[in-house]
Amino acid sequence: MTNESDNIVSVAHLTSGYNGDKVLDDVSMVARENEITVILGASGCGKTTLLKHLIRLFYPWSGSIAIFGQEITDMDEPEFNELLLKIGVLFQNGALLNSITVSENIAIPLEQHTTLPATLIQRLVLIKLGLVELSHALDKLPSELSGGMRKRASLARAIALDPPLLFCDEPSAGLDPVTSESLDRLLLKLRDDLGMSMVIVSHELASIHRIADSIVFLDDGKCLFCGPVNEAKSAGIAEIDRFFRVGEFG
Amino acid sequence: MIIDVSENSLTFEGDLDLDAVGEHYKQLMDWLAKNREKNIYLDLAHLNYLDSAGVALLDELYDKAQKQGTRLHFVAAPNNIQATISAFSSRHIQKPEPKPVFPLFERVGQWAYQIWLEFVYLIYLVSDAFYFTVIQLVSRKGVRKGEFSNQCILIGMDAFPIVALISFLIGFILALQSAAQLRQFGASIYVADLVAISMTREMGPIMTAIIFAGRSGSSIAAEIATMVVTEETDALKSMGLNPIRYNLVPKIHAISMMMPLLTVLSMLLGILGSMVIGITYLDIGVKPFYNQVVNALILKDIVTGIIKSVVFAWLIVLTAAAYGFRTRGGAADVGRATTASVVTSIFLVILADSLLGLIFYFDPTSPI
Ligand SMILES: Nc1ncnc2c1ncn2[C@@H]1O[C@H](COP(=O)(O)OP(=O)(O)OP(=O)(O)O)[C@@H](O)[C@H]1O
Ligand SMILES: [Mg+2]
Repeated sequence: MTNESDNIVSVAHLTSGYNGDKVLDDVSMVARENEITVILGASGCGKTTLLKHLIRLFYPWSGSIAIFGQEITDMDEPEFNELLLKIGVLFQNGALLNSITVSENIAIPLEQHTTLPATLIQRLVLIKLGLVELSHALDKLPSELSGGMRKRASLARAIALDPPLLFCDEPSAGLDPVTSESLDRLLLKLRDDLGMSMVIVSHELASIHRIADSIVFLDDGKCLFCGPVNEAKSAGIAEIDRFFRVGEFG
Repeated sequence: MIIDVSENSLTFEGDLDLDAVGEHYKQLMDWLAKNREKNIYLDLAHLNYLDSAGVALLDELYDKAQKQGTRLHFVAAPNNIQATISAFSSRHIQKPEPKPVFPLFERVGQWAYQIWLEFVYLIYLVSDAFYFTVIQLVSRKGVRKGEFSNQCILIGMDAFPIVALISFLIGFILALQSAAQLRQFGASIYVADLVAISMTREMGPIMTAIIFAGRSGSSIAAEIATMVVTEETDALKSMGLNPIRYNLVPKIHAISMMMPLLTVLSMLLGILGSMVIGITYLDIGVKPFYNQVVNALILKDIVTGIIKSVVFAWLIVLTAAAYGFRTRGGAADVGRATTASVVTSIFLVILADSLLGLIFYFDPTSPI
């Protein structure tokens, strides 16, 4: 059993849904510090919904969610906003602001939440864009980027403040295997160099093998497994075995 | 974070993170600006944690020093710090070339070409719209079932109360204001003529058109623009459906039918409004007022009013479509397209009204 205080995210008995339709059913999971926790499961099983609950875009019907050891379901607004500064979020569809350029998008959190001078902000924007290999698209508008480029640009925005905790909804969906691999290397670099902890929704088996320390397996709103990767495969859970088997080729 | 400064060395101790950088940036830059050493040594041995803001600061120091002829040496950086620096440093990242600025004549040419393209596009849109509007009358394909009646309700029925109310009030006010003048000549009864003619020829069609431009024109522009930016129109095309036909044609049919109907309604209610003044304020009986109105109007007044309303309907819906389909980008562009469509269509309606007024009523040989 791991130490409670290592858990940077811990969800207990979370039940929730939209307009009376239950989507998450008694989900309990944890994500540990300085680890990459991958949430996986079939399309429509509630992964995005779970992630959105973690940043309180929705309130659960019941259950508790603790981040950095603090219960967020009953936290007041200013305190929660303070907490959000330590969390970076990459949305499934990118969610860049379309009326401003890529570099301005990434500068938003830096300008709003730090006292850094403009030159340093510009430099940081360049650093972040360089990390996602988009420094050539600095002055482009989001509508002028490809789908995968948009995804990478929003990852750059998510890590603008070097948050200790990063949530990513399918960062590598829509990317070619080579770009996807270099994105994974970036995530590992962020974990190792900056000590970031991450909760990542992903379907890509190759990517899961490369980056996952632990996995959370959701099936139809229920959490079937939460623990280290190697245990997942030997846990003898039919759905998980199927997931890994189907995804393999050759 | 502790920073220890001497003539030619700088020692960092602790965490060089975002907060520390924000706090010490100015102080360090000032120190560097005043420094005249050839070599400065940055001692990183006691640096505990470095994040990307810290790396950005080190880069900034390095570049600034280089510019003033000083060389910075990072010394004794522990392995993990060294790794972070090489992972995040911005010094090897290429900035994109700034876009070339074209000389004046090229820009004018480009601008003219752009306008030409827009014009061509407009011609295409209008001809497509006309074509499919006619085709759709005989073939029912390519449009969602029930969309026409749906649009009739959205565009026409929902506008009914506001058109009715405003027309009634306009007739009422017109009568009130003119009564005061006409009374002085004992010509109160001519209020009926005045309001009847102005409502049928001008006010009815114009007021209805302005209300339609604000209500339906804006919502059509916003709907189409949103569909464009969310790639819904592309999806329609990929399914072999023409967005103009699928989306616009039912609206054109609905508005071409509802505008004239509501315009007639507007004329009637305007006259009714003036009748209220005639009866209560001017003491003209219902019957004499009615007779006066009927005598004043000729068929041409009503027919031209209706023709105008159809022209206005087309102007409104095509302007909305032109702005909608041409939208690129995101949410802000949708807003801009909507506003522009309303302003432009009101302007076009009034312009067309003047032209049609000249065509219908201008007679150089005798005053009307
Ligand atoms: N805004 C919403 N309103 C109502 N229902 C929703 C909403 N968002 C999601 N749902 C429903 O919740 C369920 C889970 O959706 P969710 O987006 O969490 O799936 P997911 O696991 O992220 O799928 P994917 O891998 O396809 O992104 C689905 O059945 C979906 O229909
Ligand atoms: Mg999802």
